[in-house]
Amino acid sequence: MAGVGYLGLRNAIKCLKRARSTASLQHYSASAAAAPHYPGIVESTDEFRFVERLIPPSRVPEPPKHQQYPTPSGWTPPSAEPPPLPYTVRRSRMHNIPVYTDITHGNRKMTVIRKISGDIWALEQEVKSYLTQLTGKCPPTQVNEVTMSIRVKGYYDTELKAWLTEKGF
Amino acid sequence: MFRISLTLCCREIGKRFASTLSGEGGLPSNLRLAPNLVEFSRTERPPAAGSGLPVLRQCEVEIPSHLTARQAWLESLRGYEDEQLGLVDLHPDVFAVPPRLDILHEVAIWQKNFKRISHAKVKTRAEVRGGGRKPWQQKGSGRARHGSIRSPLWRGGGVAHGPRGPTSYYYMLPMRVRVMGLKVALSAKLAQDYLHIVDSLEMPTPDSQYILDLARHRHWGDSVLIVDVKEDLPENILKATEDLKTINVMPAIGLNVHSMLKHETLVLTLDAVSFLEKKLLWHDCRYSPLYPFKLPYSDLP
Repeated sequence: MAGVGYLGLRNAIKCLKRARSTASLQHYSASAAAAPHYPGIVESTDEFRFVERLIPPSRVPEPPKHQQYPTPSGWTPPSAEPPPLPYTVRRSRMHNIPVYTDITHGNRKMTVIRKISGDIWALEQEVKSYLTQLTGKCPPTQVNEVTMSIRVKGYYDTELKAWLTEKGF
Repeated sequence: MFRISLTLCCREIGKRFASTLSGEGGLPSNLRLAPNLVEFSRTERPPAAGSGLPVLRQCEVEIPSHLTARQAWLESLRGYEDEQLGLVDLHPDVFAVPPRLDILHEVAIWQKNFKRISHAKVKTRAEVRGGGRKPWQQKGSGRARHGSIRSPLWRGGGVAHGPRGPTSYYYMLPMRVRVMGLKVALSAKLAQDYLHIVDSLEMPTPDSQYILDLARHRHWGDSVLIVDVKEDLPENILKATEDLKTINVMPAIGLNVHSMLKHETLVLTLDAVSFLEKKLLWHDCRYSPLYPFKLPYSDLP
C-alpha cells in the first residue's frame, strides 16, 4: 500500500516537473466560436501547492516548547546551558538520551551509553559510583575510547536516562 | 594518551602518503620531515577564538552550545603574499570530529574495492577440450584408474577450484559511514595544518609554474587538491593545472577520502566549505529515507 502511494506521488511529481518546464500554452481567444463571457483556457500552476504540501520533510523537526516538563510522554529537553562537567552526552537525532539496552547469547544483559565526548573515564567513575549507590554492588563496565561509548553489565537504562536528564544532558 | 598516539598515527599516515608523490628521492621516508614542517618557523597560527580579528565567514548551520567553531586563515591565489586575509569559522561537527582511523580505513578500502571486477577465469575439467572417454579400462592394465584425461590430477587437465568468471567485489557501506569518513578526513587535514581556505580560484596567470611556486612559497607540500563548488572554473586555474600531475582541481561533489589522503594539502574555497557543511551536517539530523533521496523531498540540502 505504501508502494502504491509512493508510485502515485512519483507520477504526480513527474507531472509537476513536466508542466513547469513546458512553454506556455496558447491562450484561446474568447472570439473563437464561444460566448463572450467564456474565459478561455487559463494556465495556472497555483494548484500544485496541493501536491507540494504532501511531499514529506527530510529533517527531524525541533521539538516545540511546552509549558511544563516532563511532557506527558516523559520527555525533557536538554538544559539550555551545557552543564559544567568534563564530559558531554549529546542527544540522538530524535532528541532522546542515547542510552540503549543490549542482549547477547539470550542472557547477557548490557546497557550502552553512546555519543559521549570529553573525559569518558570521569563519566565511567560517576556511573559506577551511582550504580553502586543504587544497587549495592559495583557493576563491571567497559569503556570504548574509539567509539566513545560505555557498556555496563545489567539493564539500567531507565535509571541512567533519568540520571543523565537530571544532570542536564 | 590514546588521542596523542592517534594524532601521531595521523601524522605518520600523512607522511607515508607524501612519500609516494614526492619528487626528491634521497632520504628514506622515516627520516624525512613533512615539507610543510621543514625550515619553517610556525609563527603565524590562527589566534584563539574571540580575539577580536574580523571573522569573514560565519557558519551558516547552528553550532551546538557545548562546541566552539574552529578557525582557519583565509588565503588567496592572486598573489604570493595573500596569506592572512582574515579568519574563517569552520563548523566543529564537520572539521573537528574525533579521529576515527578505522572508519577512514573502511571507506578508503571500500573506494578501492567496490568498483573492482576481476575477470580471472580458468577452465574446469568440463570445459577443457576433450576428456570424454575413459582412457583405459578400469581393471587389468596395471595403471591407476582414471575416468578422463582432463581431470585436475592430469597434466593439461582442468583446474579444480580456480577463479570462475568475472567476479564482482561490489558492496556499499552505509551512507552515514561514508559521510563520517569524509568528516574524519576533513578534520584530520585541519588538525595537521594541511587544510587551507581560499576565497576564490581566480589566478593572475594561466602559468603552471606560478602555482607550483606559490605552493612552494607557502609550504603547502608535494601535492595539492583544490576543491570548488562549481564545475565551470576560471580558465586560468584549469589551464595551469592541466599538465600538472601533483596539483589537481576538483568540484566539491567529487570530494572523496582517497583523493584527500593521496594529496598532501587540501585547498577549499569558501563556497566549497559552505556546500560541504550543508551537505554533511544534513545527515546528522535527517530521517531514514521513506523513499530514495534521489526523489524530491521538501527540504533536501
